Amino acid sequence: MKDSNVNGTLQIARTQEMIYELRVQQAMTKQVITVEPENTMADVSRVLGENRHSGMPVMKGEEMVGIVSVEDLVRSFREGNSSQPVKQWMSKNVTTLYADEPLVHAVQKFERHGYGRFPVIDRKTKRLVGILTKVDIIRCLLQHLEIDFQDLEIRRYIPREWFSELDCDRATLSLRYHIDGANFEKAGEVSSKLKRNLQTLGLAPDVVRRIAIASFEAELNLVIFTEGGELAARVEPGRVTVTVVDNGPGIPDVELAMQPGYSTAPDWVRELGFGAGMGLPNIKNCTNELKLESKVGEGTKLQFTVFT
Amino acid sequence: MKLREIIETLQATIVVNSHDQEMAVELACGSDLMSDVLSRLKPDALLLTGLITPQSVYTAEMADVRVVCYVRGKKPEAETVRLAEERGLVLLSTTLPMYESCGRLYRKGLKGVSET
Amino acid sequence: MTRTLKEIVEALKLAVSTRGDLLSSRTVTGGYAGDMLSDVLAHARKGQVWVTLQTHTNIVAVASSKELCGIIVVNGRTPEAATLQKAEQEHIPILVSPLSSYDVVARLCELGVTNREGV
Ligand SMILES: Nc1ncnc2c1ncn2[C@@H]1O[C@H](COP(=O)(O)OP(=O)(O)OP(=O)(O)O)[C@@H](O)[C@H]1O
Ligand SMILES: [Mg+2]
Repeated sequence: MKDSNVNGTLQIARTQEMIYELRVQQAMTKQVITVEPENTMADVSRVLGENRHSGMPVMKGEEMVGIVSVEDLVRSFREGNSSQPVKQWMSKNVTTLYADEPLVHAVQKFERHGYGRFPVIDRKTKRLVGILTKVDIIRCLLQHLEIDFQDLEIRRYIPREWFSELDCDRATLSLRYHIDGANFEKAGEVSSKLKRNLQTLGLAPDVVRRIAIASFEAELNLVIFTEGGELAARVEPGRVTVTVVDNGPGIPDVELAMQPGYSTAPDWVRELGFGAGMGLPNIKNCTNELKLESKVGEGTKLQFTVFT
Repeated sequence: MKLREIIETLQATIVVNSHDQEMAVELACGSDLMSDVLSRLKPDALLLTGLITPQSVYTAEMADVRVVCYVRGKKPEAETVRLAEERGLVLLSTTLPMYESCGRLYRKGLKGVSET
Repeated sequence: MTRTLKEIVEALKLAVSTRGDLLSSRTVTGGYAGDMLSDVLAHARKGQVWVTLQTHTNIVAVASSKELCGIIVVNGRTPEAATLQKAEQEHIPILVSPLSSYDVVARLCELGVTNREGV
């Protein structure tokens, strides 16, 4: 973020993609529970139940020959019987991940295939070295934040959309959102999502409230005055930093814009509940640090920090 | 003041209610411009407004406000109602104008945000 | 009980932003609170004092066309210079209170300035 410039929507996207830096092997579970092709579906049922897993690789010695999931189990109970062997019901075309792939590939694969888990193999030996679920990814991100969490809480909280908003690197977690310009119907939705995600991360209510209010004001300014842009929140130990970038029209006099009551909003905006000229002053009051840079014809970059 | 007393005082209809009517509301704020609301609204206050768009609910959500009352007989848009239900807010609607709503609640002892 | 704007200015300790000589001759028939011009245009009544946080010049046009007796700007906001200028021309007194709308209305009601519509 240090080097992003005012018209740098893409810049933000690039510098924020820290999920590229983390590898699959850092997030995967290394103790993989497996079954053999000759095991019965009753065995599968028992093992999955005992471990509260929803699927596992099928191994013939060192070689992975398939994967069997709860869905296969259900199918076998409905259409066959539980004494039949795994090899009859498993999926043979297994999509895998390499241990050294960036986590972002895993995220993309989850999105594309809708599977619950991917076996992880070593690129050279092609041997199974782990297994990766969405829970593993979220756990990894949170562990990097040193945030305590309840396994159950996390299990419950895996809506797809939240998952797809996640980026991460070794020490921080980033949430990124796109804000549409001129779309009043959705104005506030991004801040609402952000607020819930910060709550889930266990930040103090007052901190979450201040970030939420400041983000909402910034979001509305993008909806009202610009053609849209990006909002990125970076959560690190001790602070949350939000960066909001748009591509214009820019603010001619930043100091004036910061004054309480100053607004260029037209009457129709006031009829929709905005234009009191209190947005930027509110952001200032809610935050510990604030930086507003703008160039007419290029765009505006607003960055604020709340200490946690 | 209890939510129940607010409903009685404003003769309000309940549009969305996910809360116990004994829930306490400490303060009130009346405004149609949301940034003004956000600059002074405290958690657990009552928001009186004529703005019935989804942004009235988002504003309440951001500020940790749980009760919104629409004045002068305004009924919130369908999307507004849906958002409020999803977030567990209380939405009320009164036929009284903003002016009278503020006056009545104050007489019953509900303080405004300026006094804190 | 009818009040003059002057009495209200004194009771609520309002700052007077326009010429003060109109205040004692203006009787207040009631009050209206709102920040949306469309709402005020549609529902405010002649002779009412208008409580709002808007400071834009358009508030004078609204007050003038609805024959309101004056405007109380809340939250200690400073009316724009153009607004004051227009207010002088249109003989619309503009008064300022540091309090919020809710608190200003509360005090006006205590003085007997009401709005009984929809009751
Ligand atoms: N991202 C932006 N791009 C261009 N102009 C902006 C942007 N953000 C703010 N402004 C300008 O700064 C002014 C002040 O912004 P501020 O958020 O304080 O008030 P407002 O949006 O006009 O009203 P309110 O926030 O109270 O609804 C705006 O009226 C607008 O002219
Ligand atoms: Mg704004």
